Amino acid sequence: MNKSTCIEFKNVSKNYKELLALDDISFKIPKGEIFGYIGPNGAGKTTTIKILVGLIRNFFGDVLVNGRKISNNWKDLNNLIGYHPQEAGFQVWRTVDQVFKTFGRLSGLTSEQINKRTQEILKLTYLSDVRYKKVVHLSGGMLQKLRLGQALLHEPQILVLDEPLTGLDPNMRFQFKKIIKKLGKSDITIFFSSHILSDVQDVADKIGIINKGKILTIGSPEKLQSSFRIGNIIEIIYAENTSLCKDLDSLRYIDYVENIKSNKQLVHLKADADVDISISSILKSLFEQDCKLRSFNLVEPSLEEVYLKLVGGETD
Amino acid sequence: MSLLLIFLDELKGYAKSKVMIVLWFGLPLLSFLIQFISPNDLEGMPISFLVSIVVSSIGGTLSAIMLSTSIVSEKNRHVYELFLIRPVRRSSLILAKYLAVYLCLVIAVSISLIFGLIVDAFRGDLMENYLNITFESLIIGISSMSITCSIGIFFGVLVSSVPVAAILSVYLGSQLSTIIILPTIFFKILNPIILALSLGITITIIMMSINILIFSKQQF
Repeated sequence: MNKSTCIEFKNVSKNYKELLALDDISFKIPKGEIFGYIGPNGAGKTTTIKILVGLIRNFFGDVLVNGRKISNNWKDLNNLIGYHPQEAGFQVWRTVDQVFKTFGRLSGLTSEQINKRTQEILKLTYLSDVRYKKVVHLSGGMLQKLRLGQALLHEPQILVLDEPLTGLDPNMRFQFKKIIKKLGKSDITIFFSSHILSDVQDVADKIGIINKGKILTIGSPEKLQSSFRIGNIIEIIYAENTSLCKDLDSLRYIDYVENIKSNKQLVHLKADADVDISISSILKSLFEQDCKLRSFNLVEPSLEEVYLKLVGGETD
Repeated sequence: MSLLLIFLDELKGYAKSKVMIVLWFGLPLLSFLIQFISPNDLEGMPISFLVSIVVSSIGGTLSAIMLSTSIVSEKNRHVYELFLIRPVRRSSLILAKYLAVYLCLVIAVSISLIFGLIVDAFRGDLMENYLNITFESLIIGISSMSITCSIGIFFGVLVSSVPVAAILSVYLGSQLSTIIILPTIFFKILNPIILALSLGITITIIMMSINILIFSKQQF
């Protein structure tokens, strides 16, 4: 069943004087999906996010949330979206509890709703112990969780996270991802930006890659991996103390064969190779020579390699 | 609605801030000290008059510095983003700050002035004439503080460096606020209370409108 579209960017452009921050970007995010938005620093991620949450209102094109243009519905947008900014601070005199009280009231919640939601969020974000601590005494990781907490306070339909894992230690990253995965199981649509691919790849249903203000590609992590083969390589692992297959490089479509270990070979196919024919011929040769196999794999690029290839980085 | 919420919130924050604690306790203390350091003969000037001039000048300058530096610091730390993604007007953020600090300041100055009046009463100087002079100086003081606070906010929304905002508030904020007493020096027929009040309100409204306009145009 097709999910209805929750967020849609239609030919959106934004420039800061002469700098083109977003160049005619278009994409859709279905309801309930976790959308990972990645790109290097300065690619246009934060500009996209600030347009979505209504902090930038001067742009070209249309942004639709639940089918309605946000430019006509700023008030509704405030209630629909919860926003975790990249680096927003809190006034130094506030305690964690005061943060929830103030932002809860400003979001239109009653005192009872604020109390209920505060307890739920403190439990979810593991911040219960610091409820009455001043925000200046919180660690960087706790502040990130507090930013997430204030975004969830009014039970938004859409959660926008701008680089939420930046500056967190591995333990905090794990906790944060766990929270996001938990939220992802509900109906909430999550827009999650990062400049580090590994941050989003194990939580996102779909990944969009942006560079220099342009969307380069959008797809599921698996689709991105399979559609971006860096080179056609077949990895063959043999049983220990057995001989490797000979003369594979004489087969059609084979460029060269690399013997990595005593029981491992990498078969590099030619650029114009038909992968299916090549695999059949290699397997035939292996069986003819009575080779004892343990593994036979078409090597696919890692998402990191796909990302680097798309944004113009170097791969090893 | 959001203005009242943010105002009460800011009031809570500023009332407990270090600068305000200095004002709450420092200004009344200063009014006591003035009694001891002032000459016995003040040429007909009551202690409470001197107190109101000194404390409103010091209080106004400190408040301008506090307002300008806190706004710059909050802008730089992206504090306003979390407010602006909610149904909050930008003007409410600026007005709430001004009202909270100004109210704290007026209370601090009033406490000091009451101390001054008590001292005058003990010295037997509390005459009707003195009360009039003190009331006049209080009106001039709170009008000038209002201008100083609005100028502090102006530097806060305009600049992006905390030290620059503080320096501008010290040197220009307090100097520009004296504008309200200048006409009475040259035109003796003008009533200083009416003049101070009308100039104080007019300049504050103009400055606050400019502040809101600048703040509304800024990108967060």
